[in-house]
Amino acid sequence: MNVLVCVKAVPSTGSVQVDGAFRLQRDGAKLEWNVSDLSALEAALSLKGPEGRVTVLTMGPKKLEEPLRELFARGVDEALLLTDPAFAGADTFATANALETAVKNHGPFDLILCGRRAIDGETGQVPSMLAAALALPCITGAERITPEGSGLLVRRPVEEGVQMLFVPMPAVISLCEYTYSLRLPGIMGLRRAKGKAVTLLSPAELGIDKENLGLSGSLTRVIQMDSKFPGLRKGPKTDSLSQGIPAILSVIKEAKG
Amino acid sequence: MISQNALHHAEKCRFCFMCRHLCPIQLQTGKEINTPRAKGLILSMENKGTAKFDRDMAQTMYECLICDACVNDCATGYQPPLFIREARTEAVANDLAPESVMKLLENVEATGNIYGAEKPSFAREGKDVLVYVGEVAACKVPKMAESLLKLLEQAGVSAKVLENEPGSGAMLADLMGYVDEVAQEAKTLANAINATGLKTVVVLDSYDAEIMKQRYAAWGAEIHAQVVTATQYVSDLLKAGKIAPKASLAKKGACHDDDRLARTFYEFEPIREMAKAAGFELVEMFNKERLAKSCGSAVTLAYMPNIVLKVASGRWSDLLRTEAQAILTANPQSYLCLTQNVPEGKEVVDLYSALI
Ligand code: SF4
Ligand code: SF4
Repeated sequence: MNVLVCVKAVPSTGSVQVDGAFRLQRDGAKLEWNVSDLSALEAALSLKGPEGRVTVLTMGPKKLEEPLRELFARGVDEALLLTDPAFAGADTFATANALETAVKNHGPFDLILCGRRAIDGETGQVPSMLAAALALPCITGAERITPEGSGLLVRRPVEEGVQMLFVPMPAVISLCEYTYSLRLPGIMGLRRAKGKAVTLLSPAELGIDKENLGLSGSLTRVIQMDSKFPGLRKGPKTDSLSQGIPAILSVIKEAKG
Repeated sequence: MISQNALHHAEKCRFCFMCRHLCPIQLQTGKEINTPRAKGLILSMENKGTAKFDRDMAQTMYECLICDACVNDCATGYQPPLFIREARTEAVANDLAPESVMKLLENVEATGNIYGAEKPSFAREGKDVLVYVGEVAACKVPKMAESLLKLLEQAGVSAKVLENEPGSGAMLADLMGYVDEVAQEAKTLANAINATGLKTVVVLDSYDAEIMKQRYAAWGAEIHAQVVTATQYVSDLLKAGKIAPKASLAKKGACHDDDRLARTFYEFEPIREMAKAAGFELVEMFNKERLAKSCGSAVTLAYMPNIVLKVASGRWSDLLRTEAQAILTANPQSYLCLTQNVPEGKEVVDLYSALI
């Protein structure tokens, strides 16, 4: 199976900064792979089979080359990095556009996996936008994927239980965080990784007009950003365990009627 | 190529120098490069491009027992073993690790253990618990394994030991970090343990217990049984009256808290209960419990014997400052290191043998 995994480097908690145009500053921030994308990556590595390939695709600063090379050591065969100032400030629409072009240029792929949402934007829109742009079926929020005949059986948690969905390939599936735990890099993998290079792609190489990228290619703008302290809940407070525990128990008892 | 997380640990040191006074390797070698913070500093320099990760730097990364004393004491929550392990991965992947380390890795590949010898078997059938002996006890301290099994038998516990017991991954993880090869070894052992259907695994070597309890689940190598240290298990048997205490030996002994019991499990009472039941009058060394000074580990003894001999001497000097005649341990790795250079008139006592 030829699998593409879209991954995103997100600022780790504590190093988040925003510029004057309300864009996240990724250059100075400490970045890490978005947690649900790591589940998608492990799902891809376990599904690809002995003859298969796993390609990772990301968009971001050139400094992502090294973390991408580390993914080679975990079994990734190819890494594509869309990097250019023109990509900066993209909303989900412009992001999906750029990814779609890269998929068309470097595909075809039997399966495209993504994390269900990135912890910086928390929109969860890119997987379905990408699927729509590529005219592929899409399942979001999956927790397990199993090959089934010519397609895939996908388990998806929903409020009332789980759904088992069959999807033909090619398809786009987004994975929930912590569903697959990413394998460790191996020594052999690290050695193999040394001879591999990340493919850097600019808008010109992708054949996309810069107007359709980044902030200028985005349909949405962040016009205001506020932080609000939710405040402390009203209610009795105590430092004493011997008073606090009975007080909580009585609130629970009261609520249960 | 160390991870962002490891780099963060390497760079957040406050230069308070507390770790300088407690790192057993720094204390014995006197080399500034052997302070935990210096190891972090050189990795940080490598990351900034002002130093190159070469053979000398790799050697420095192996001059560490992964004893966690620095982790225990660092006010910033800085964890040198985290980046030291990753630096070892780099060293092995780039053929920069010391030859003595590479030799041990070849041994593991050839025989499944660092000693490059066939591992003696303690296999037996039993229905109550599974005992995991581990490669250090099996190959170097077999009497401790025999004594534990005998003690369980005397207590009426029917213990099973696996035929061809797989490695736990603890040795490999110290040699080359947490890499996929370690996770694969973990999965093999977890599958073998789960196949027995037994509900309790009694682990003789606390280094093995640590990796099983703290790492396996994250690697998809869940052990379905409850993993307990042999010291805890034996101490529970003592409390339950299944093992009879010995008469007083009229001898003073000091318990050595091994690195994992001291700083992973914070398990201090069980070996002391065992020592009292074995008839010893307990005295304490100055550096005890979480602050216990390491006496070395089996893997470092195998690739860096000279430094580990000095480290073990350091622990003996702690004992010499007490009135104890014996240092008491229930860990095969500590037993192995401490028996390398026993001072005149002193002895190392294996607490399982002492309880039979
Ligand atoms: S104890 Fe921690 S903060 Fe202090 S010098 Fe050592 S590593 Fe740095
Ligand atoms: S783990 Fe132990 S030997 Fe290694 S640097 Fe820390 S204190 Fe020193």
